[in-house]
Amino acid sequence: MNVAEIRGLCKEYPSFRLSDVSFDLATGRIAGFIGRNGAGKTTTIKSMLGLVRPTSGSVSYFGMPFAGNENAVKPRIGYSTGAVNYYPKKRIRDIVAVTRTFYPSWDEAAYDEMLELFRLDEEKRPCELSDGMKVKLNLLLALSHRAELLILDEPTSGLDPFSREELIDVFKKLRDRGTAILFSTHIISDVEKCADDVAYIRQGRLAAALPKEEFTARFGIEGETLEETVVRLERSEADA
Amino acid sequence: MRKMLKKEMTLSASFLSYLFIAFALLAFCPGYPILLSAFFVCLGLFQSFQYAREANDIVYSSLLPVPKADVVRGKYAFCVLIELCAFILSAIVTLLRMTALSEAAAYRANALMNANPAFLGFMMLIFGLFNAIFVRGFFRTGYYFAKPFVAFIIVSFVVVLIAEALHHVPGLEAVNAFGFEHAGLQAAILAAGAVVFVLLTLVSEKSAIRLFEKVDL
Repeated sequence: MNVAEIRGLCKEYPSFRLSDVSFDLATGRIAGFIGRNGAGKTTTIKSMLGLVRPTSGSVSYFGMPFAGNENAVKPRIGYSTGAVNYYPKKRIRDIVAVTRTFYPSWDEAAYDEMLELFRLDEEKRPCELSDGMKVKLNLLLALSHRAELLILDEPTSGLDPFSREELIDVFKKLRDRGTAILFSTHIISDVEKCADDVAYIRQGRLAAALPKEEFTARFGIEGETLEETVVRLERSEADA
Repeated sequence: MRKMLKKEMTLSASFLSYLFIAFALLAFCPGYPILLSAFFVCLGLFQSFQYAREANDIVYSSLLPVPKADVVRGKYAFCVLIELCAFILSAIVTLLRMTALSEAAAYRANALMNANPAFLGFMMLIFGLFNAIFVRGFFRTGYYFAKPFVAFIIVSFVVVLIAEALHHVPGLEAVNAFGFEHAGLQAAILAAGAVVFVLLTLVSEKSAIRLFEKVDL
């Protein structure tokens, strides 16, 4: 079952154009959203969440258009943009105390579990955390309200390899519980480890949105890793 | 909306917004243009916008499970709350000056505006202008606020100048009368100030919501 349907998403900036991006996200699947820096991953995600107004196109979640149904849709979505970069001088405890009031489905047990897993101290302030710990704090907030869909922009960037492995394990557990996950990254090996689907964006255009095996079969050469395939595709584009 | 207001008060607000409510006590000062107290209260609110911008408050708020319009409504609710707190404090000071302190020599010799209902009406006008010029102007981008604040400074100082000059105009001395003399005229100015405050706030809030819907964060 699809939890999100993105159709013909376009966004025009003076120096960049996101063109006709369409893909679906399904329950209990992890989609890796890959592309080089500046390819349009963040613009797509921001357009999906209403942070950026698309020039055209539509976004639906759980069978409802996002526009006009924000109240019904947003509590069912968890979103994280890499590191927490808001309220740097407030204690984590205070940020969480306010955030939880907005989510009727806030799961205190899940919150405590993540807090322990990520080894976060509620008495600290975001400005006292390393970049990696800030990412974990953002994920903690996104994961604590039983979101049915997680949209994560560069969640593994800035994390050490051990934390990335832990995070990927968390993704897999959530997938097994039926949560759909879309995460953008330029660390292709993370996608290789856990993604079921791959959405590949190049210069503002979606080059492919396929199950990972199909993506590898269509674009890969035998013996190549996903990362090698994507790097080769990028190079061929640059040479063309 | 209660949740958004609580978020504004606990996460987005600068301590100075609360502290600057105390500037309402300037209404006790004789020989001082007491209407500036309203400007200082707005300066305190400006500090919250500055703090919130540094803390990426708008992005955080926009990601909460509320419509984008509620981000605007939350900011307006916070501003109105602070403004009403300052107004109530000013009203208490005004009442004291009109009753227990009405015969105090320092106030009787006051060449500037007296604390009376007309002063409170002008105060409401300045608060309304802050909401209409600064807060609405901020939501044009959700980020830049220098131009709207400069515009508010200019307009509010013009209002202070006019309000201070008004009672020197022959025939309008009653605007600055002591105690409860000419209370009717002064109450009418207070009522007009309150109506203008409500209108400016409501209309500019609607406009700010429309502007903010178009902003790319």
